[in-house]
Amino acid sequence: MSRLPHVAGELIDRNRAVVFNFEGERCSGYEGDTISSALAASGVTVFGRSFKYHRPRGLLSVANHDVNALVQVRAAQRSMPNVRADVVPVQSGWDVRAVNTRGGLRSDRLAMLNHLTPFLPVGFYYKAFYSKRWFPRWERMFRTLSGLGSVDLAASRVITPKRYDFCDVLVIGAGPSGLAAALAAAARGAAVLLVDENQGLGGSGLYARGGETQGAERTAELIERVRAHARIRLLTGAYAAGYYTDHWVPLVTRECMVKVRARSVVIAQGAWEQPAVFRGNDLPGVMLASAAQRLLYRHAVVTSRRVAVLTANAEGYAAALDALRVGVEIAAVLDLRTSLTPRSRVAAEELARRGVTLQFGVEPIEASAQVGSQVGRFEYAYAAGADGRATGGARGRGQLMIDGLWMSVGFAPANALLHQARAQVAWADALGQFVPHELPCGLYACGKVNGVFGLSERIADGEDAGACAASELSQRDARSRAPAPLADECPTHAYPIFAHPKGKEFVDFDEDLQIRDIENACQEGFDSSELLKRFSTIGMGPSQGKHSHMNALRILARVRGEPIEYLGTTTARPMFYPVPLSHLAGRGFTPERRTPLDAEHAARGAVWMPAGNWRRPEYYAVAGRSREQAIAEEVAAVRTRVGLIDVGTLGKVEVHGPDAAEFLDRVYAGRFSNLKIGMTRYALMLDEAGVIIDDGVVGRLGLESFYFTTTTGNSATLFREFGRLATWWGLSVGLVNLTGHFGAFNLAGPAARVLLRQHTSLDLSDAAFPYLALREAEVAGAPCRITRVGFVGELGYEIHCEAGKVLDLWRALFGAGERYAIRPFGVEAQRMLRLEKGHLIVGQDTDGLTNALEIDAGWALKMDKPFFIGQRSLRILERQPRRQRLIGFALRPDAPRRPRECHLVLDDTDLAGRVTSVGFSPTLSRCIGLALVTPKIAAAKRLRIRGDGGEVIEAEIARPPFYDAAGERQRGVDPA
Amino acid sequence: MSAAVVDFAPLHFEDCSARPRCGCKGPGAETWLRSRGYRIPAAPNSALLDGDGVLVARLATSEFLIEAVAAAGGAARVRSSRLQLNERAQPRDVYAVARQDTVMTLSGTGLNALLRQICSVDFAPLLESADDDGGTGNDEGPVLLTSMIGVGVLAWPRRLKSGSAVTVWCEPSYGNYFWNTLLEVGREAGGVSLGE
Repeated sequence: MSRLPHVAGELIDRNRAVVFNFEGERCSGYEGDTISSALAASGVTVFGRSFKYHRPRGLLSVANHDVNALVQVRAAQRSMPNVRADVVPVQSGWDVRAVNTRGGLRSDRLAMLNHLTPFLPVGFYYKAFYSKRWFPRWERMFRTLSGLGSVDLAASRVITPKRYDFCDVLVIGAGPSGLAAALAAAARGAAVLLVDENQGLGGSGLYARGGETQGAERTAELIERVRAHARIRLLTGAYAAGYYTDHWVPLVTRECMVKVRARSVVIAQGAWEQPAVFRGNDLPGVMLASAAQRLLYRHAVVTSRRVAVLTANAEGYAAALDALRVGVEIAAVLDLRTSLTPRSRVAAEELARRGVTLQFGVEPIEASAQVGSQVGRFEYAYAAGADGRATGGARGRGQLMIDGLWMSVGFAPANALLHQARAQVAWADALGQFVPHELPCGLYACGKVNGVFGLSERIADGEDAGACAASELSQRDARSRAPAPLADECPTHAYPIFAHPKGKEFVDFDEDLQIRDIENACQEGFDSSELLKRFSTIGMGPSQGKHSHMNALRILARVRGEPIEYLGTTTARPMFYPVPLSHLAGRGFTPERRTPLDAEHAARGAVWMPAGNWRRPEYYAVAGRSREQAIAEEVAAVRTRVGLIDVGTLGKVEVHGPDAAEFLDRVYAGRFSNLKIGMTRYALMLDEAGVIIDDGVVGRLGLESFYFTTTTGNSATLFREFGRLATWWGLSVGLVNLTGHFGAFNLAGPAARVLLRQHTSLDLSDAAFPYLALREAEVAGAPCRITRVGFVGELGYEIHCEAGKVLDLWRALFGAGERYAIRPFGVEAQRMLRLEKGHLIVGQDTDGLTNALEIDAGWALKMDKPFFIGQRSLRILERQPRRQRLIGFALRPDAPRRPRECHLVLDDTDLAGRVTSVGFSPTLSRCIGLALVTPKIAAAKRLRIRGDGGEVIEAEIARPPFYDAAGERQRGVDPA
Repeated sequence: MSAAVVDFAPLHFEDCSARPRCGCKGPGAETWLRSRGYRIPAAPNSALLDGDGVLVARLATSEFLIEAVAAAGGAARVRSSRLQLNERAQPRDVYAVARQDTVMTLSGTGLNALLRQICSVDFAPLLESADDDGGTGNDEGPVLLTSMIGVGVLAWPRRLKSGSAVTVWCEPSYGNYFWNTLLEVGREAGGVSLGE
């Protein structure tokens, strides 16, 4: 068994066993085990298959970043893909399987791909996809072969809540420096949130011991103080996945995403240990030394009996001492460096004293398997003897029989969040890594990510960062931090990369990229870090380059013959760590607005459609009628009798004050300063380029008071814009948004006046209440604003009143209207009614480039005003030829085919415009529409429209309105 | 707006939409309100509760919300002011603001946990520092214009003898969505009781 007797500080509870299956076989562990540690304790060595070549893979980092340790977990009828075995605690009853295999982990049929390496060069996807002929075949094949876990499509939806949290100081990383930072900040009165991706605190302070206990004891003491501190909250098993402006940090827990707003942030995320690159570096049993230490001290697990330590720093020697302490045999410590450095010397002497072979100037040649896929032999060259003494330039060649190889050749700072926060970093030769150089306000870094490696130094660095973060809150004693002291020796080898003629030296374990893949990509011209990434896909796998980015940069620098710092750094976009889609989707907050008449519409059979963020009746379903028939009947009701439509979704705004008229004259293209009290006028709103952005109706309530409408979709945006403009222009106006507080509906049809008259004492005669007039009066006991408008082309009254009264009013009119066979009508009927009148809808019959001159809206433009938004552009556009024009068209009544909206208009074979509105008019018994076309087509008599199947549909160009051209019906003639 | 009542639920929602309220803005609004006997908060984004249970919230330099939040004599005063505004009996430089809001008061032991799901504002310090006199004193407290579950709202945090509470005003067109979504979140958070 791989489980050791009790190890001080272990996280497992040996009294609580956990039993689960892996690839169909029974495994066991303890509570506190992760999936990876329980599998390792059960003797499992192969955890997964690689992404491209399906090579057997074992543990690499045990630190949440292994693509090798992604597994599929089935538990309680739910199958979860891509579970990160390194950090997820294992539970009894789980069925765990490797991802991306065909036929299981042991006998993966796709393992044959490992022999096709020469036929899968870098950039293979791009080269394969280039051929149109072969693309569909490649696509099918890749879709079949590639991927990681399987999504359970039958799984029920999980509504994952999101949560906000707040603190004074957020400390990310609970290693020694993070613990010290949290304590220092809390000691100064700050409310601290300390977060770590691991279940336990302490980081490398507890597992990188070097055979000693002092460091771990010191870390444990910090943990105890942190746990006891009233102002420090702990969140473990959660990782900071990104950094957003103003210290917003999303923390991903197992249950949900927590969005934390901090007043200052301390990044203490440490550094990721990096692999050496040599042939066979991906074999099971070859792992980072820190991974072996994590297993050893957190879970009391060792995975090998006899190991070699490949190192280039003091941390490798410490790992060797840790191995000796628990009885693992050290075959040799192989140092890539040519001689010992001061920090490594004490440990090296101890190892030598205990009989461990030390060799220097080592160059790995190849790791290979002997039995199964587990590493069994390691070949290498070396240059010097045990004491670091040169051997006259002669190089020896060594071979070790081992079942484990631990790599400790360097680190890459976990600085992704610093980059996202726009921190400036600089290359430190003495460290072989980038270190923070200039940090944004309220952001601090400490520990290894700050280039500080010694335990005492990290604690001191953390204390300083925490103190500064807390001090900044009060501003009284805020101070800037001095640069961190650099390590006294470089912990990272400059080039731990060793090519082999037969390849298989993996730079990126996620994507199976070898040294020659990177070199070939550079030679093909993709020789910047950004291009290299996209072409080779390096860093684009689940670990997002945490183990590959720096080594790829080293190869790139060597190919280009430039120092690594010249290549620059890249900023990974959030989320930098894998986040379950259920966490991102979470609970959807999609506000939907409803008018006060919503329940009434539902009771009358409304079929809903979205309009902006409102829901509106598209039409009212009638038993035994099709959608088209129901809409046609609604149109007919308005044309022949009377109908009611809810227009409460319109933006409704009041503007008051001495400058109210001036304000409207500037906002809209028309003139409103001369509008008579009690009258309304159409209003067209343009942007600075003269493009139409909205329209509505402005009514004058008093000398200094107006009431006006905007389109449904623009109401909220425009009200904000109105406020901004009023402030910017310095006008004395008060704006009141009544959109949701007022309801509105349009009573339209020949019988509208007769019907309305039954509910109001207002004189509705043409003389007293003419077309386009505005009146305030009671209707059915409710104070209302009534306008005579003609959007649908019939005698009509738009009635507005407080939201709380509109339902009673609607019901009163509806009840009285039954003798006139009143019908509610929906948006579709209204669209046809207005199309028959040739009235445009902004956003449908115009687009983001349509200016007011192109729709023949000259009558709505008062170019002689001193100013209105868009006026200057229109003056320029007036002198230029039109780009397009809005025209009307009609098909013959017997036309066999009808165009649809957005169908293209042809000029011979060229595109000359598009249909913007079209429909079959039940009133006219023919298909009519509007189109934006080139001036040449607009001047013609006929229109050619390309249909869905490529057929050409011919139409006559006809000048709107198509119905009641004289406008007599909407002006109305009082029969009384 | 129906929901099963859960006894001893950690959250309590009360629909306060029917309370008498009115709004006004304009350069003369403050003077006009004072002339009608209202005490006015000194700063924007703050509110005070008069002895007769009338809340006066100052939403901007010259914009006010008046609401009778307790069943004391204040309701008549608010109705009178509203009538005057409706009839445009106020001075020319005071503009009526229609207030048909959907209004909810959220309270209970799970209040802070609920707020942390629906709003990005940290209410905890506001609730700690808010009025602690059972709503009968004259201390000014904060009112916030913010967003909850995607809807622009006005929020008034209070600390009462019975515990913390936040009253939320939103446009009535969002009422259905707002109420149902909060109920859904609240039920998952342990349950909601409704009404008084």
